[in-house]
Amino acid sequence: MIHALLWMCLLLQPQSAEPSVPPDALPLVQSGIAAENRGDLEQAIAAFRKAADLAPASEIVFLRLGDAYMKRHDFAAAIPPLQRAAELSPDSPAVHQLLGYALLTQGYAAEAIPHLQAIHDDGALGIAQLQAGHAAEAVANLQAALAKSPDDPDLLFYLSRAATALAGQSLDRLRSVYPNSARGLQALGQTDFEMKMLPQAAKEYQQAIAMRPDLPGLRLELGQVFAAGSDWPKAEEQFRGEAQLQPGNAEAAYRLGNALLQQGKMKEATDELKRSDSLHPDMPETLYALGRAAAISDPDVAEHALLRAIELEKDTPLAGQAYLALAQIHRRQGNAEQAARDMQDYRRIQALTARPQS
Amino acid sequence: MTRRELLSLLFSLGALELGGVLDAPGADPKTAPVFQLKTLRGIDFVLRNSPTSRKHLIETMPGGIALLDYNNDGLLDIFFVNGGHVRDVMAKPISFDRRNPAYWNRLYRQNPDGTFTDVTAQAGLADAGDSNYGMGVAVGDYDNDGFPDIYVTSFGKNILYHNNGDGTFTDVTVKAGVAGGGWSVSAGFFDYDNDGRLDLFVTRYLDWSVDKSKTCGSERPTYCPPGDFPAITNILYHNRGDGTFEDVSVSSGIAAKQGHGLGVAFADYDGDGFTDIFVANDVTDQFLFHNNGNGTFTECGLDSGAALSESGRRPSGMGVVFQDYDNDGLPDLLITQLPHDPYVLFHNDGRGSFSAQELEAGLGVLSGNASGWGVGLEDFDNDGWKDAFIVQGHVFDNVETYDDSLRYREPPLLAMNRAGRFERANPGSDLPVAGRGAAFGDLNNDGWMDVVTTSLGDAPQFYLNRGGQFHWLTVTLRGKRSNRDGFGARVQVNGQIRFATAAGSYLSSNDKRLHFGLASAQTADIEIRWPSGIRQLLRGVKADQFILIEESVQP
Repeated sequence: MIHALLWMCLLLQPQSAEPSVPPDALPLVQSGIAAENRGDLEQAIAAFRKAADLAPASEIVFLRLGDAYMKRHDFAAAIPPLQRAAELSPDSPAVHQLLGYALLTQGYAAEAIPHLQAIHDDGALGIAQLQAGHAAEAVANLQAALAKSPDDPDLLFYLSRAATALAGQSLDRLRSVYPNSARGLQALGQTDFEMKMLPQAAKEYQQAIAMRPDLPGLRLELGQVFAAGSDWPKAEEQFRGEAQLQPGNAEAAYRLGNALLQQGKMKEATDELKRSDSLHPDMPETLYALGRAAAISDPDVAEHALLRAIELEKDTPLAGQAYLALAQIHRRQGNAEQAARDMQDYRRIQALTARPQS
Repeated sequence: MTRRELLSLLFSLGALELGGVLDAPGADPKTAPVFQLKTLRGIDFVLRNSPTSRKHLIETMPGGIALLDYNNDGLLDIFFVNGGHVRDVMAKPISFDRRNPAYWNRLYRQNPDGTFTDVTAQAGLADAGDSNYGMGVAVGDYDNDGFPDIYVTSFGKNILYHNNGDGTFTDVTVKAGVAGGGWSVSAGFFDYDNDGRLDLFVTRYLDWSVDKSKTCGSERPTYCPPGDFPAITNILYHNRGDGTFEDVSVSSGIAAKQGHGLGVAFADYDGDGFTDIFVANDVTDQFLFHNNGNGTFTECGLDSGAALSESGRRPSGMGVVFQDYDNDGLPDLLITQLPHDPYVLFHNDGRGSFSAQELEAGLGVLSGNASGWGVGLEDFDNDGWKDAFIVQGHVFDNVETYDDSLRYREPPLLAMNRAGRFERANPGSDLPVAGRGAAFGDLNNDGWMDVVTTSLGDAPQFYLNRGGQFHWLTVTLRGKRSNRDGFGARVQVNGQIRFATAAGSYLSSNDKRLHFGLASAQTADIEIRWPSGIRQLLRGVKADQFILIEESVQP
């Protein structure tokens, strides 16, 4: 990813020689530039190295040498001449840029940061800060870079990484400073849940709820722990508690509806999923679950919900599952032709989304 | 009102009338254990699967059980399939030490006093072939001589043992031409062309060999998933009637589909008079082979709604049973699978279609984190509704190190059927085992169904039914024009249906007698539709008896 960013940077243009090069080194520099123009980086590097021997105080010669190494993707070799160029010309933006990138590619993120700051390259700076463990600064700079280059895939990728790192650092801080607080226990519960230590996670969430029964989100997360262990009655209890605490929370209603669905309580599930749908319309998962819950008792509602899910999801695996559920409804209704069409759509999506077998 | 609703209502009314019986002291049906876990004197079998550090996949998959009356003395005998000795590194020629008595399959004859005697050697069943790692068993009287024959599946070669009728068996595999090859798993006898002779279906798991074996997991090695190995075809053998079979897998269309077959079950799901085949596949679409009635089959699982779970996922199908759980007269499918998804219940909606209704039936609550293998739908409390018994245990012997919510050893699941919805019940033991095979039958001829299960590295478990006060009827079929076992017959008793078969479950063969719980009814009307097409009706048959019904010679 860093390499991808480097391709975006403006490396030195090799067309012409620099006027500040001492006269005895100038032919070698010109020869190096000519070699670069021919694409002969080996020849260019050899010429620039000889020029550097003749002109040890010429910033531009070392910059040219570092640039040639960079073009050859030999970032480690580029660092010493670029560092020398930086000594000779501490305010050169070109030197800061190349040196910052070279250091970043080699994992010297902390060393790269001042150079990237000097040229105000928010994107590369954000990446360096992320790698150096400064997640909060990284998030800010990557957001600034994204404002200039919206939807840049590399920046989006690194921003998500930085945000995750920032969340982790915040949780670590919370756990270390307030380990026995409700939020601290919640953070522990989240970690144990991610590590599939379900009984431990449930215990931590339960302790947190005992401390702060009014805290939104705790029951929702505890319910998900129980759901992961397929303990649907306990999951239902927690989701119901969350839904009572936050009657306007569509996710709590969805998860409660799904817990009811898993227990075969189709009527209650249908009601709760309809409520979730009214709170936050057009959530595909809610619509799909509603389609499953109402499939037998109210096939019209189920069909409508599944068709809406398909409309939203187009050709995703969830849309495929919705077609499958529609086929079941139509088969049960004796509508074999429509069921066959549903299955055609299911197969079409399967073919689109199928992953090759290992 | 639908027929199903009517039946539910009738059940409710019946239950009210029987309140006094159900409420008898110490017999709370919600909590009273249904079974008693017992040891049976004389049975010393241990299923030796030989787990290794290399995690060869075969070692986590055995072993089968058959409940059969091999000597026709009216008492059920028990046959166990053993695994074999697996080593970390298997030198060629491959040997699983099956000549070592520790790795023998075993036949135990039931004595009149309820004890058992190991008759393996005298019956001629000791040699299972050194290069065969044992898996499952099927039982059927393929030559209609009145004595049940035994077919043993293996990784390697399968063996057909002909029952000589004198307490001994003869290995007739070569003559019969049913050795198979590769990794065979479950098998079953059935008569697909209604010619009166039992044919044989064999599931095969995947294209595996010792050379192709691999280990998955990094820090914690474990068994590889089936998708890491190529899929393979199942085998259908047609019984020629002269003691030999013809492999018709290709011509019948069975070999047109490759999968990861484990369990197999048979029933005529669409009432066309021809027995169909269902194969439980591991993380593949499940296969429903519709019998076209002309010697060919069409796989129609997906289009019939019997391929994917209610959530649209491919089940890790292990065991399967093909019987009518909701008393609507149509056979349904209950399929066990690995955790995180419920056991799959395909409800037969009629018109040749199924819908996944495991959630509606309550299985979502009962099975989510369990790993199911052998499975039966039997009326354990004789209330007129078939209950579910599932033997459980995860594939990985170190699964707890991967996921704290899962267990390698689990107790079985007993789920009582309350008018089409299953509720957890007390099986009488919470002993956790690495369960695999399960066979169902009335071991002590008391009219109450018992269960035998196998578990890896352990002795088998015997769940003996504690009984109760409801009535029952057990039917033995004897075909004349149809196959002698009557396999494929549709038997209706007081509105309940059973499809005659010994196949189903996982790797195992059940008591071929057909058991019906009659609740409070003291008589039964029996209607049989034989594979020959003959229909037979018996009215007012007295309850609480074993009845032998011979096929009428007149249509």
